[in-house]
Amino acid sequence: MANTLRLYSTCIRNTLEAAMCLQNFPCQEVERHNKPEVELKTSPELLLNPVLICRNEAEKCLIETSINSLRISIKVKQADELENILTKKFLRFLSMRAEAFQVLRRKPVQGYDISFLITNYHCEDMQKNKLIDFIVQFMEARILEHKFACSILETLGERVEDAWVFCNQRLDRKSLM
Amino acid sequence: MASIAAHKFAQCITCHAWSPDQTMVAFCPNNNEVHIYRLVEDKWEKVHVLQKHDQIISGIDWSARSNKIVTVSHDRNSYVWNQEEAEWVPTLVILRLNRAALCVQWSPKENKFAVGSGAKTVCICYYEQENNWWVSKLIRKRHNSSVTSVAWHPNNILLATTSTDGKCRVFSTFIKGVDSRDSGTSLASDMKFGEQIVQLDLCFSWAFGVKWSPSGNTLAYVGHNSMIYFVDDVGPSPSAQDVAFRDLPLRDVLFVSERMVIGVGFDCHPMVFTADERGIWCFSRFLDERKRAPSSSKYGSQFSEAFGKLYGQSKQGVRNDAIDPTKPGGGVHENCITCIVPLRKAGDGTVTRFSTSGLDGKVVIWDLESRADLSL
Repeated sequence: MANTLRLYSTCIRNTLEAAMCLQNFPCQEVERHNKPEVELKTSPELLLNPVLICRNEAEKCLIETSINSLRISIKVKQADELENILTKKFLRFLSMRAEAFQVLRRKPVQGYDISFLITNYHCEDMQKNKLIDFIVQFMEARILEHKFACSILETLGERVEDAWVFCNQRLDRKSLM
Repeated sequence: MASIAAHKFAQCITCHAWSPDQTMVAFCPNNNEVHIYRLVEDKWEKVHVLQKHDQIISGIDWSARSNKIVTVSHDRNSYVWNQEEAEWVPTLVILRLNRAALCVQWSPKENKFAVGSGAKTVCICYYEQENNWWVSKLIRKRHNSSVTSVAWHPNNILLATTSTDGKCRVFSTFIKGVDSRDSGTSLASDMKFGEQIVQLDLCFSWAFGVKWSPSGNTLAYVGHNSMIYFVDDVGPSPSAQDVAFRDLPLRDVLFVSERMVIGVGFDCHPMVFTADERGIWCFSRFLDERKRAPSSSKYGSQFSEAFGKLYGQSKQGVRNDAIDPTKPGGGVHENCITCIVPLRKAGDGTVTRFSTSGLDGKVVIWDLESRADLSL
């Protein structure tokens, strides 16, 4: 399992390294504007083909590139309802604090759990390899934390069940008395 | 090392140009100003700040003979700066653009300059004596996207352009009253203004950084698909070569001689391309010795730590990781190189010294003479 994660994240890392070749590029359509082309999509010639990296059906990563911006969307595995709720809550927590993360997009792209938007300005004042490290480690951490949270909840759930059985037994005993 | 001097002037430099005597450098520190520094006793001193634009400056060129600076900016304007005593006096150029200007270059005779723009046009500007201003003539409806780079042929008539539609085009810019018929070659002189001589459709991605060789026989430009293209016999039947390389794409090129080209770009290391006796181009080497340590980037779940580093770095702009093992290479530049400018020319037009600047805010001077293996 750890091995496939390594392969997945290496693939994402290499793709990001090649894709993160951004430059300052003013808008061709609107006067005196400078907007991320990957969001506007007004000039098709300024967009590159998107790259989709899948680890399995449930875990994938979409990298869309344009001349001055790059969008990375990640889908995290959600096996059941519990994981679904957990993911939603955690990513909502992060998205609400998006400006603290600078590269986090407030709303994920449809079909994905979390999206990052990197523009040429981020490449100007941050180091490219650090930026890539951050994204990849964020993704890995999410997967690991997710598992951790699930295991805590599972054990918690077992405890609750145990407690419930215990209470019921005691109630039964009381009623018998 | 082939680099003889490096100085960090700003956080980020978009473009730079040298004064005719090469004692002063003008650059844009990624904002709406041009800073001019002079080297005084081995220390760089700020001597002028040119403020007139109100958006980021995308191109600067300093004419070698007439000592004029032309600047273009994303605010759609261009100014020609003239030194009158101690002050630089701007003259507005009527570009008639409705989008950002992206690049500028003086023609070899310095009576015209060309501006590439985001309006998918090229402006050829010339001075009108009677009105005392610079006027522009537009080449319209030829480009399908923004013009990223322009380059003048040594004959002062032909102009090569690259665009984000992936094409490289060559135009005639003959202007009556400015150019004389006998000045150009036979090919250029019967062409009208704005006539397209050739359109090169070699690249599948955006094209940048076009340059002519010193004689004007060869044209080189780069594509964002990590390719560099060399075109001989520009005219009705051009012959083209493409060279692919394994590293990140280039942004700009410079002919140092007829057979040697330096390319700079996202890889942070200038690359040398050479032609053999038959005229076949290939990638030769990196200009600065690349000491690529085995990538020992740590994988782990301490994303908060990584984030802390990234965050602190971005806030304070501190770059104290000179011995960071995760940093690729170990070259002089730490971020994308965007601009390469010739510094010293020998009699036959070959360049022995040039400078590069990039998003890391450094201007680096390189000398080819100090390297025996790269002798011209």
